Amino acid sequence: MQDRLKALAETARGEIDGAREPSAVEALRVRYLGKKGELSQLLGGMGKLSPEERRALGEVANTVKQELEGQLSKAAERAEDAKLAAELRGTPLDVTLPGRKMPLGRRHPVSRTLEDIVRTFARLGFEVASGPEIELDFFNFEALNIPKDHPARDMQDTFYVRTDWLTATPESPVVLRTHTSPVQIRTMLAQKPPVRVVVPGKVYRCDSDMTHTPMFHQVEGLLVDKGVTFAALKGTLDAFVKSFFGASTKTRFRPSFFPFTEPSAEVDISCVQCGGKGCRVCKQTGWLEILGSGMVHPNVLSGVGYDASELTGFAFGMGVERIAMLRYRIDDLRLMFENDVRFLEQF
Amino acid sequence: MKALLSWLSEYVTLPPAQELAKLLTFAGLEVEGILRQGEGLGGVVVAQILESVPHPNADKLSVTQVDAGPLGKLQVVCGAKNYKVLDRVPLATVGSTLPNGTVIGRAQLRGVESSGMLCSARELGLSEDHGGLLILDPSLAVGTPIAEALGLNDAVLEVNVTPNRADALSHLGIAREISVLTRQPLRLPAPKLHEGQGAARDKVKIRIEDPERCPRYAARVIEGLQIAPSPSWLVQRLKSCGVRSINNVVDVTNYVLLEYGHPLHGFDLDKLAGAEVVVRTAKAGEKMATLDGKERALDSDDLIICDGQKPQAIAGVMGGGLSEVTATTTRVLLESAYFQAASVRRSAKRHGLHTEASHRFERGADVNAVVPALDRAAALIAELGKGTVLRGVVDVYPKPVVERQVRVRFNRISEILGMAVPHAECRELLKALGFEALSEEGDAVVYRVPTFRGDVEREEDFVEEVARIRGYDKVPMELPRATSALVAESTAMEGERRIRMALAGAGFDEVVNYSFVAPKVLEALGETDAPIALVNPLSVEQSVMRTTLLGGLLQNAAHANRHQVEGIRLYELGRVYQRDPAGGRDRRPVARESLRVAGVLGGRREPRSWTAKEAGMDFYDAKGAVEALLGALGIFNASFALAEHSALHPRASAQVRTAGGTPLGFLGELHPRAIKRMDLPLTLFAFELNVDGLIAAAGLVPEYRAVNRFPAVLRDVAVVVPIGQRNDEVRKVILEVGGALVEDAQLFDVYTGKPLPEGRKNLAYALRYRSAERTLRDDEVNEAHGRIVAEVNHRLGGQLRGSNPE
Repeated sequence: MQDRLKALAETARGEIDGAREPSAVEALRVRYLGKKGELSQLLGGMGKLSPEERRALGEVANTVKQELEGQLSKAAERAEDAKLAAELRGTPLDVTLPGRKMPLGRRHPVSRTLEDIVRTFARLGFEVASGPEIELDFFNFEALNIPKDHPARDMQDTFYVRTDWLTATPESPVVLRTHTSPVQIRTMLAQKPPVRVVVPGKVYRCDSDMTHTPMFHQVEGLLVDKGVTFAALKGTLDAFVKSFFGASTKTRFRPSFFPFTEPSAEVDISCVQCGGKGCRVCKQTGWLEILGSGMVHPNVLSGVGYDASELTGFAFGMGVERIAMLRYRIDDLRLMFENDVRFLEQF
Repeated sequence: MKALLSWLSEYVTLPPAQELAKLLTFAGLEVEGILRQGEGLGGVVVAQILESVPHPNADKLSVTQVDAGPLGKLQVVCGAKNYKVLDRVPLATVGSTLPNGTVIGRAQLRGVESSGMLCSARELGLSEDHGGLLILDPSLAVGTPIAEALGLNDAVLEVNVTPNRADALSHLGIAREISVLTRQPLRLPAPKLHEGQGAARDKVKIRIEDPERCPRYAARVIEGLQIAPSPSWLVQRLKSCGVRSINNVVDVTNYVLLEYGHPLHGFDLDKLAGAEVVVRTAKAGEKMATLDGKERALDSDDLIICDGQKPQAIAGVMGGGLSEVTATTTRVLLESAYFQAASVRRSAKRHGLHTEASHRFERGADVNAVVPALDRAAALIAELGKGTVLRGVVDVYPKPVVERQVRVRFNRISEILGMAVPHAECRELLKALGFEALSEEGDAVVYRVPTFRGDVEREEDFVEEVARIRGYDKVPMELPRATSALVAESTAMEGERRIRMALAGAGFDEVVNYSFVAPKVLEALGETDAPIALVNPLSVEQSVMRTTLLGGLLQNAAHANRHQVEGIRLYELGRVYQRDPAGGRDRRPVARESLRVAGVLGGRREPRSWTAKEAGMDFYDAKGAVEALLGALGIFNASFALAEHSALHPRASAQVRTAGGTPLGFLGELHPRAIKRMDLPLTLFAFELNVDGLIAAAGLVPEYRAVNRFPAVLRDVAVVVPIGQRNDEVRKVILEVGGALVEDAQLFDVYTGKPLPEGRKNLAYALRYRSAERTLRDDEVNEAHGRIVAEVNHRLGGQLRGSNPE
């Protein structure tokens, strides 16, 4: 019987190996290992054997059964894989077709730059302050040490605002602010020192050509405290420039004049295009003028009731459009306010 | 201010031009350019015409043979006729480029070869003279470069003088600065004035009626003058500085103005009635003709110079035609005065005149330059005009100006700069700048400020003087001491950022428009509040401050449409401006400026794509954008109610309010009238919301609600209701009746048309039943669902169409 068992196992192995379809594998399992399968039938004749023979034959039969079971399950797996592989064959997707569009809106380059500048100063501890754009002459000029009939007024062409609808004559003429600096005054009048603010916003000048728009944006900064130095002004602006334009950007400070600061400085940065070698952007000078700054004039401090003998401060201001143009290599200022979608979608 | 190097070098030894420009720039006198006069004339040499014959093929041309020195003899075709054989003329040689850009090549002119070009003064950029060839001095050597031959090896510095530095508006002033920076001695001019017989004070009477606005008026008298053109050195210097030559008297006054920075004026003394000068303010109705030929009505605020009868000059601004120095003048009254800056500025502004004189007086002239400049000019006029300067200066100076004294603490200089500056260095440098140390008071030194430095008023000004002369680059860089606490970012900033994020996510591009618009745009949108208008707008298109953001956005949308943008989604976040009639006093602004966010949309909903459906945007796209924005701000349960808005379609516009009823703004389809008036190319949808209101209502830090862990049962319900029945009413009934069992009811279909009868619509809702406490049983859900259906039918006159229990 052992010989018959071995012969059965031999045949079964060959057939299982040859089975390709899952159904064929299943049929073989039924045929050999099923309740009425060949193995059961063969063992059915064991009653005639002695207990010893039965035990010995039972062991062999078990081994054969286990072996065939293992072989069948492998064959089943193999057959399933083959079947799936056959099913997955066919024309694949065209993976070069465009994906479903989910367009995101874009930020305007000026507002984006403005926010980036403000965020940079926020990291240096500056709070955001704001003030009116339609402003009294007093705040825009006089409180900033720019008296009436002073030639410094020529530095800024001013839009004036009609006020015939006011219930009473205003205490000073009304202008569209020409710079964000009046917010310095309003901020200092409203709070005690120390003051550490940045002021982003729109400003207006009565000028329109290739390089001027009647409205543009500035970011102003003001720090007033005990012991604020010119060295701190330089350090702060240098840190800003390096953070904003890259660590290798250099700054240089040139004496200048603003009525509300003393000493005053213009700040140049090494050209962002050529790195200082000289190119069209920097007009071959290697430098770009981007900031005006200085130590807050004592007249400004005492004008808001601060003690100018105790406190010092620095202030700075920059044109956002200019910085955005340098950053994104925009060569025409007027694009900024045309709001052409083909321009806007690049940012 | 244009400064001529050769002129500066008379007063101080100069470093090379580039180095000088850098020195001045980093001391605060920014050199914006160096104009080298001979520039562009490299290939032009002196040539002599040896022979000239008519061109064989052209009547107007001649063929010349010229001697060009080292270049040999050349044949040049020429169109001019004003020369003689043997004249010396400029020859632009082959390969040179003229200042006007003309490149000189070897050319065939009507069949005759020409090796170069003979030039006029205009072709060399020297003057406007194009009457013929520039005929040169016969003594010039043939072959000499033209720049050298004409003395054009000079350079002009274009110095940008800031309004505080009136002292640098002259060659002497710039030379003084250079001498400090280079530590070279300054050589001041010493005019050689020979006074003749007769005293000036016997020839003219001077009276100042307004000594506040004219603190000093000095004059000299020069007689026996011959008015003539100025010598070429003078003409050339003036021209280099951008001043046109007139005659020897006027030219000298301009020359001394450029030299000393002090404005002067020459009157024809014989034309001054009563040989009298009165400085006073104008009387109402007075008129005068100024030197520019214009008749001017004077204002009672104008300070004027009069003779015995009439106004003869606007003080410090411009002289008058009546007493102008002309070819027949023989006696001149030379004025050197000191006028108050603000007074001159007001007159200059009022009359729209900006002259070299007013420019300097406005910035503050030097009262102590009055007499030296007068003497210098008188001497030069007498020399050039062969006249005699009468004895003495008539100098009316009732209240001499006392020089300012400022106490300077050197330690304070170090404190403000943030670095130690040796006191000795401060002393040395301030002395070189002309500040005289008067006395010492402990750490402080009291300095006398020379009158030419009107800008130096206080200690801080000395800080700048020290810093700028030493160089700002000497000051170290450090970060300020951190005295501020960490400040929380304002809610407003965070709110604005969320709004931008939401709109970017919804596909809106941001625009930034001008704050001023055309009044007709506001009218087209039916804005009723009168806008704030500008006094001096650049154009009517930019003449009033916007009261809505929609005007600009709609114009942007029209622009986009013209450029084939198929799906338009634009937004702006910015201020609008409303009148505050009570403003303008107590330092209050005159406008209420409030921040808004607005958007316009229209055209294709999805970009053209193989996956996209062809569908246009509608009201619900606008509403979806608003809902996305509200959601980003954590504003829930905002209400949308049909409402009138002048710019929006009456059947498709809604007002947005917070759950508490605070209005936030509007949205809707543009009113056909607005579309027409603004000439918009397509139907557009818009929203405009008040940002302050949004931020006040925002919940930027959300509060967690427990997640329900029990399973939900989903049931749909569809009801047929009258066509005017609003979704929110139906939904309200469902939620009310469902009570604690219904978690949500989502509208998923709206249907009108067959088989529904006219005037009815079908609304289908997906109801989600769920309890917070336990798993719901089927019978509970069935019971509740039945009640909801019955109640909707009962209350809203609806009909149940069907429900699916699974």
